Amino acid sequence: MNEHDDVMCLVRESFSGLRMDLPVEDVLAAGRARRRRQRRRLSGLTAAAATAGAAVAITLTLGGAAPARSGTPPSPPSPSASPVTLAAFSVTDGPGHSTTLTLYKGARLDPSALREDLARHGIPALVTVGTFCRSTGASVSFGQVVQPSTLPDGTDVMVINGAAMPPGTRLSIGYFAGHVRLLLIKDGAPLSCSSTSGQPAVHITPSGTPIRG
Amino acid sequence: MGHEQNEFADFYRASRDSWLRAVTAVVGHRELAEEQVAEAFTRAWTSWGQVRRHAAPRAWVVRTALNLGVSWWRRRHREVPLADHDAAVPAGPGDGVDPALIAALRRLPTRQREVLALRIFLDLDTETTAKVIGVAPGTVTAHLSRAVAALRRDLQPAHTDPDATEVIR
Repeated sequence: MNEHDDVMCLVRESFSGLRMDLPVEDVLAAGRARRRRQRRRLSGLTAAAATAGAAVAITLTLGGAAPARSGTPPSPPSPSASPVTLAAFSVTDGPGHSTTLTLYKGARLDPSALREDLARHGIPALVTVGTFCRSTGASVSFGQVVQPSTLPDGTDVMVINGAAMPPGTRLSIGYFAGHVRLLLIKDGAPLSCSSTSGQPAVHITPSGTPIRG
Repeated sequence: MGHEQNEFADFYRASRDSWLRAVTAVVGHRELAEEQVAEAFTRAWTSWGQVRRHAAPRAWVVRTALNLGVSWWRRRHREVPLADHDAAVPAGPGDGVDPALIAALRRLPTRQREVLALRIFLDLDTETTAKVIGVAPGTVTAHLSRAVAALRRDLQPAHTDPDATEVIR
C-alpha cells in the first residue's frame, strides 16, 4: 500500500459501518431451495426425455406391426401424454405471521392452483395470467399488505401480510411474461380487466424495483 | 449442521461484511450490493462441493457478485423508463458512508473501483486482483494509482473546514 495508505485507510474507515445482517441460515435455506428446484427441473427434463423415448418406442413398435415406409418421420407423442410442468410458484408461511409467495421464472403459472394455495393461507385472491383486474370505483389502499422484491435470478418474492388486508377485499394478481401486478380489490365490486397495465398497483420491474404506479 | 454446512457458515461469517463493503464500493448502492452478495453466497453454497475445492473461493464469490452487478445494470438499461418512478432506485449506501466519498467513487471508471475495492476490503494482492478481474498485474497497479490519485484530488476540498480561514504568514 505505502504511498496510497492515507486514501485507502480513509475509504476503509468510511465503509466500516456497513455490515451484512443476513443470517447464514437464510443463505443455506435459499441454496437448498435452489438445489430442489434444480433437481425438479432435472427430473422434469428426464421425464420429458423418457416421454420422448417412450413415444419413439411406441412408434417403432407400431411401425413394426405394419409395413413401414422408409423415411417415415416418427409420430409425435400421444396427446394423452402428461405434459411436463415445472413449479411456477410456492406459497409458504413466514416470515412471522406473513405469507411468502415466490414466483419462479420459466414456468407456466396455473392461476387456479395459485388462488387455491393462497386461500389455504387465508389470502383471498384473484389470479389472472396475461390480464390484470381492478375493481371499479374507489380503489382500496394497498397499505402494508405486500412487500415485493425480485432476486437477481428473476424470481419474484412477495411477502403478504394477510392480516393487513381490509375486510371485504381480495388481492388481484396479474401475471405477465415480464412482470407481475398486484392490487387490492373489493369483493363483489364490478371488475375492469385489461391486458395492459393501468393505475394503482405495485409493479415489479425485471430489476426488482417495486414501483407504486 | 453437517461438516460442509459448518465450513460454509464459517466462510460466510468471516467474509460477508468485507464482500458487502467491496461490492457497495463498486456499485454504489447498499441494497443492491446486499442482493448481489447474498446471491453470490447462495450460488457458492449451491455449488459448495466445487467452490470449496476452488483455488481461491473468496475470489470466486467476489467475481460472481461483481458479474451479477453487470447483469443487473444490463437488465436495467433494457428497461423502458417510467415517468416519476426513478426515485425508487436507492440513493446511496447509507450507514454513515461519506456521500462525498461515494460520489467520488462513482466518478471513477468501473475497473478502478473494482481494483480499489478488492485491494482495500479484501486485502487481495496485485496478482490475485489481476486474476479476479482478468487483467495483467501491471494494469492493476496502474488502475490503483489512478484511482487513489483521483480520490485524493476529489476528497481534498471535502475535508477542509469551510468555516476556517487559512492565514498565510
